[in-house]
Amino acid sequence: MTWFVRVMLAFIRRELSALGGYRAAFIIRMLGLVMAVASLVFLSRFVGAAANPHLASYGSNYLGFMVLGVLGAEFQQVGVSGLAQRIRTSQMMGTLEAEIATPAPPWMVLGAPPMYEFGAAALRSAAYLIAATLLLGLDLTLANWLTVALAIPLVVAAFSGLGLLAAGTTMLVRRLNPVAMVIGSLSFFLSGVLYPVTVLPDWLRAVGRLLPLTHTLAVLRGALLVGASPAALADSFVALMIFAGVLAPLGAAVFAFALRRARTDGSLSHY
Amino acid sequence: MSAAPAVVAEGLSKVFRPPSGFGEMLRGRFHGRPIPALTQVSFSVGPGEIVCVMGPNGAGKSTLVRILGGLLLPSSGIARVCGVDAQTGGSAFRRRVAFVVGDERSFHYRVSGRANLHYFAALHGLSAGEARRRAAALLDRVGLTAAADRRYQEYSRGMRQRLALARGLLAEPEVLLLDEPTLGLDPRGARDLRAFLRDDVIRKPGRTAIVCSNDPSEARALADRVLFLEAGKLHADAPPDRIEAELGL
Repeated sequence: MTWFVRVMLAFIRRELSALGGYRAAFIIRMLGLVMAVASLVFLSRFVGAAANPHLASYGSNYLGFMVLGVLGAEFQQVGVSGLAQRIRTSQMMGTLEAEIATPAPPWMVLGAPPMYEFGAAALRSAAYLIAATLLLGLDLTLANWLTVALAIPLVVAAFSGLGLLAAGTTMLVRRLNPVAMVIGSLSFFLSGVLYPVTVLPDWLRAVGRLLPLTHTLAVLRGALLVGASPAALADSFVALMIFAGVLAPLGAAVFAFALRRARTDGSLSHY
Repeated sequence: MSAAPAVVAEGLSKVFRPPSGFGEMLRGRFHGRPIPALTQVSFSVGPGEIVCVMGPNGAGKSTLVRILGGLLLPSSGIARVCGVDAQTGGSAFRRRVAFVVGDERSFHYRVSGRANLHYFAALHGLSAGEARRRAAALLDRVGLTAAADRRYQEYSRGMRQRLALARGLLAEPEVLLLDEPTLGLDPRGARDLRAFLRDDVIRKPGRTAIVCSNDPSEARALADRVLFLEAGKLHADAPPDRIEAELGL
């Protein structure tokens, strides 16, 4: 464990050191975030005025609904795409083989970047929520933080499992991430990122329940907007436990297979 | 009684099976024509010995050292380094063997040479303090102290090769596998790096080394013995003074 912490800290130091070379990109990304939040505010003014009955179970808080939808989708994006993107880049840059040649086990080499990305996404989300609360009037006074704290490890495990699955697939097909593309599109459509899932026909809602993001958003919105307890969100918690229990080992197995394939066909050093 | 060999290859073969094209896949063929890269290669290397692997492009030199480094799985045969199977040895194996690749893409371009070494030191399990000390000592040893905090992308080819060497020495390995260590260097830079490699990095600490090269002067400067590969087959195992004859020069 100490070894992994060392790798993690060295990775963070290296990333922060590299960030110095991307100042313009960093500023542009921050500006993009500000504009995204601002557009959510105007959208919420427009939609919130209609007192939509579908938003009743979220305290009729469309701004909160939207902000949490976007944050949840970003968290999934980090989990599902982070590791796959990292592997693709490392193969293309040629660093993957040099890293795998060190004594660190492959899970450690490839585990640090997504953990860093999850940490960064959590910090961004916190900053986003604080800014939306202080500047834009997002109401989180009812929030049940215990529910959020209990859900986060399950969400990270489920998304990491998907991430390993996507990364393994990326190594096998040597193209950018078909799993991430499919999961990302389906989730955006069926998990209720921009609209409540209650507006979907029943059969599409049933399909949406097969996606981890649907339950992640249900838990985050329930906990943060109306203060729901874990018991009140039991269905979504059970679903997240199943996703974490199935996807994490499945993803690890697919990834281990893909790594062995890369050592067989010599693709550790090229893409 | 003679010491156990540091490196043993027994009947190593490697056949690559590239993925087929889309049309072939539709016909149910998922692999293209098999490409034999190594065929029944066997040899051993004694402790402290420097062996150069030579041969024309595509002879299988890089494939051979990647198999010995545990980065590529052979189709058949066994590779043992320091008595450990390269295929299954895991972390314990990779602590004893360092693979130094001449590929200059193997570092992170946007950070300094020092930061790159710190990161790789962490992957070797060194603490931050140890990593700092070790990186500083190695940067000094390869003559990069003055450039240590410059970004890797600003390094010349020779500096990149020397940084790769420093990375290979982070764990003080018993066996060094070097794939074209002076590739692309000017004659004087190549000569200096070879002298440093031979005297400081390999001979002095009594390491074993296998060096892939296309350059006869490199083999003469470094090797005790030369293995000649031709189309994936080992066709000669000879002293360096046989290089010209074996290569038909």
